[in-house]
Amino acid sequence: MSRTKAPTRQKEASSMQIKQGLRRYQAVIVALSVFVGLFGLTNLISPYPISYFDISFMASGGMTLALAAMGQTLVILAGGFDLSAGAIISLVNVVLATQMDPANFEASVTLWTMTGIGVGMAVGAFNGFFVAILRLQPIVVTLATMFIVQGLTLLIMDKPGGFVSPSLGSAYLGDAIPNLLPASIVLILVVLVFWFWLKNTRYGMALYAVGSDPVAAEATGIRGTLTLFMTYVLAGGFYGLAGVFVSAQTGSGDPLVGNSLLLPMFAAVVIGGTRLGGGKGGLLGTVFGAYILMIVVNMLLTLNISAYYSTVAESCVLLLAVLAGSMSKHSPLAQKLQGARDYLSARRKGLLVSQRDYVDRRLSFASKTLSEATGEHVSWFRKNATTLRYTLPAYVALLIVLIVTQLTLGNVFDKFGYWNTLLVLSSFLAILALGQGAVILTGGLDLSIPWTIALSGILVAGIVQGSDAALIYAVPIVIAVAVVIGFLNGLGVVALGLSPIVVTLAMNGLLQGAALLWSDGTPAGFAAPALRWVMTGRLLGVTPVIPFLIVFVIFAVLMLGRTAFGRRIYALGNSEEAARLSGVKTGRVLISVYILSSLCAALVGILLTGFSGQASLGMGDDYLLPSIAVVVVGGALITGGRGHYLGMLGGALLLTAMQMLLAGTSLPYAFRAVFFGFVILAAVIALREKKG
Amino acid sequence: MLSRTLKGILTAASMAALTATAVQAEEKHKVFLSMSYIGNDWQAEAANMVKAMAAHSDFADKVDLQVQVAGPNAQRQIQQINAMVQAGADAIVVYPISPTALNNVVKNACNKGVIIIAYDGEITEPCAYNVTIDQTETGRVTAEWLVDKIGDNGKVLVLTGVPGTSVDAARTAAAKEVFEAAGVEVVGEAVGMWSQAVARTELSKLLATRDWDDIDGLWLQVGCYTANAMQIEAGRTPEQLLPCAGEGSNGGRIQMLPVGTEVEGASGAYAPLGAQRISYASPPYAGGLALKLAVSMLEGQEVPKLTTLPLPLVTSETVKLCETGSWEEMKAGCNAFLPSIVSNPGWFASIYSADTPEIGLNAALVGQPEL
Repeated sequence: MSRTKAPTRQKEASSMQIKQGLRRYQAVIVALSVFVGLFGLTNLISPYPISYFDISFMASGGMTLALAAMGQTLVILAGGFDLSAGAIISLVNVVLATQMDPANFEASVTLWTMTGIGVGMAVGAFNGFFVAILRLQPIVVTLATMFIVQGLTLLIMDKPGGFVSPSLGSAYLGDAIPNLLPASIVLILVVLVFWFWLKNTRYGMALYAVGSDPVAAEATGIRGTLTLFMTYVLAGGFYGLAGVFVSAQTGSGDPLVGNSLLLPMFAAVVIGGTRLGGGKGGLLGTVFGAYILMIVVNMLLTLNISAYYSTVAESCVLLLAVLAGSMSKHSPLAQKLQGARDYLSARRKGLLVSQRDYVDRRLSFASKTLSEATGEHVSWFRKNATTLRYTLPAYVALLIVLIVTQLTLGNVFDKFGYWNTLLVLSSFLAILALGQGAVILTGGLDLSIPWTIALSGILVAGIVQGSDAALIYAVPIVIAVAVVIGFLNGLGVVALGLSPIVVTLAMNGLLQGAALLWSDGTPAGFAAPALRWVMTGRLLGVTPVIPFLIVFVIFAVLMLGRTAFGRRIYALGNSEEAARLSGVKTGRVLISVYILSSLCAALVGILLTGFSGQASLGMGDDYLLPSIAVVVVGGALITGGRGHYLGMLGGALLLTAMQMLLAGTSLPYAFRAVFFGFVILAAVIALREKKG
Repeated sequence: MLSRTLKGILTAASMAALTATAVQAEEKHKVFLSMSYIGNDWQAEAANMVKAMAAHSDFADKVDLQVQVAGPNAQRQIQQINAMVQAGADAIVVYPISPTALNNVVKNACNKGVIIIAYDGEITEPCAYNVTIDQTETGRVTAEWLVDKIGDNGKVLVLTGVPGTSVDAARTAAAKEVFEAAGVEVVGEAVGMWSQAVARTELSKLLATRDWDDIDGLWLQVGCYTANAMQIEAGRTPEQLLPCAGEGSNGGRIQMLPVGTEVEGASGAYAPLGAQRISYASPPYAGGLALKLAVSMLEGQEVPKLTTLPLPLVTSETVKLCETGSWEEMKAGCNAFLPSIVSNPGWFASIYSADTPEIGLNAALVGQPEL
């Protein structure tokens, strides 16, 4: 009997293995099929057959993004996030373009490739030091690094120029085998071989372990610190190589060349099937992700789709690819549908808890405050020690900035004008901090803020056309739009189970398309005089927005600290599972939080329009990274669960005061960027959690 | 099933497209426009003027124009130009995101016989054609005007453009040289990003620790309109407005008109203030002119590699209101437009060129050519 059964069992086992393998590589397979499908489609609709040269162009066209996204994938696998990637590419590009000898057309490819990778790794080590060894939050450390590196880049080269030897270009963009194999494809294969080797080393195993569960990894004896540090260094090397490739491709230097690659990079990583948050995914998928994004550009061109739709198309590709990659019986969407079916059938059978008779089964807690429990009077300071510990540093730093401003520029403590400006300019970030802060408290991130601001501003200016009376219906319309935006964001996160970063990034693209279509490329109309008065007029000697801001702050503090909704947000951020089991309707809370964030962004859009008198398309772009920075500088934990609104407010005031100080000096912009980066870094070092 | 039908449709569609392009190819030149960002007034206006030029009766049956946007991403523009070459472009009109990053791809396009012509920004690759203004000259002339107004040893505020771009570097460096020679002190400098909205925030920061009275003049690449509005809000009279060298927006031009001029649609700060100004801008008609030059090259005419446009300078003495904004009227010397027609004060008013009678105000506003 056993002899006959054994082979079938083996067969079952092997088919199980195949299934498992398929599931494991589902995302990569989806990415690959999407890529092949799009490629075939482009070939089909393009009026000319695709030749070797076209393939060579495409391979090199998506190369920089692919290389950079591979580095980003490593960081994300380890559970991190690297905002400095684009800046590092620019840095390597200008280093090469300024250091190469313009007379030498045959510069050594190996030497300069190594230089580029070395520069990248050095910056990576800087990131790694703060993230791995000092245990600071990666998103803030890399944000600070981004500013510092951007400043350094501009110090090295303040405008495009320089020289990159053509030898680099022919090495990376030429042919490995003429008319058969472009060099760029060889490069990508070499890098992938390196990755497959790396994945199976001790480091590779540790990388996935640390990304999945750092505590468990630590417990099994994996050296988390070293692994994390290595990851940032390696990622830096990838960005460095991307920088070398850009240099080869462009033959010159441009201090801004890499900065705009940051968002496409995340899209490529996610489309490639790597999970934000760590532990799952790989570099192969990322390569397909990058090339999918590239081929979409070509498709839009061949189909002659209006430029207004380009961000919409990209967002749809992003969403669809991610959804398809995560589709399975266990995906949140499937589970949600199953849950809904179960709910309905239970309801029919009358088995639902809510359908049973209500009996109060709560345990009676001997509710005691701390002072009652210990029997002694506990000071306010002791009760709020933790909150103070994370909230105060922003204010201490603010005080220092104010004193320095007084000493260098004067007019701070003796004149109200300074404070008025400080509060008016801070109001935008202070309002955004509530929305972004609440999202961050739940462990999410809202990247749709820039175009929610812009769309709201454009709508309000376009509808009111300078009339006060029209505000009565214009503002509710904008608010309704914001509620829809937030609801859709929340729905994407809750029902589709997608990462908040993916959902809100895609939403940002959709909103950009919507804003362009609605305004037809040029936003028209004015802010109503009443709106302008709020931001620039005078009420009892202050700008009218200031009293409003005070009310807003009180509202925000009460909402986050004193309401059930606020407590649920914190509960969710500490542990979604625990919150759900304690009866928090996590889905509803999450959706509400995204709605809150959209509402705050819309409010900022309206106020900014009042401030400038008109709306413009890019008006929200400068507020995304600061909105995250103020929340974190204000003491919140990017992974959620910790933070106080007053701290975030302090962060907003600090950032604005610092910008005012820097604007008043005659320091070049490059130095200011470096300085700004170091201040953010100093702030998070002050907020560092003590071990043990 | 579905996929087969879909494929069938697509194949049919592509066949139709194939035959269509084959027919068109005999008569029409395939011209592409690769723009940068569409998120600001200047870019939108320039794109409108290119489209209007292509729609003009002289060009409508000669040119098949397709517009693509690369965003702020030079990588993407590289790829886009490649794709355009692949799609069989005869000429590509480019707003270059970087003057240097496109060199290799442009060289490659030239080698395939595609004409590359850049407007506003410059492409340094020698085979490319460029239509630009002299940015160094712009910085120098406007700074000299300001020094002339406020005298030597004055104090000025400076708002620059986008750091790291050639245009900003050239303008700012030239202006600072003039200031240094005249002993003018730059008491505050901020990054203005060529945006009125950013100008408002940055000027607020600069003025938090000082008063308008402490300053003698303003050199703002974009922001004079906003600066004037802020001074009025701060309670200064139109006579007290500081001399300002800055952008060529219509809002600024209207403010330059003498106080009391009848202007239809004026409201708030978008009204005649008699402001002392020199107004300049990279002219948005450059894109339209680039297209015109590209077509004339396709028809076998010679065009110089570099077309330097005359500086579109307007001062408070030379500002003049247009009635309709037709090309003929602008030729007669008007250079500011009624707020009732141009509702956006940030809209760029330097749209007149003697070389482009095909495009006037309607071209810039809605992409319609002159009749």
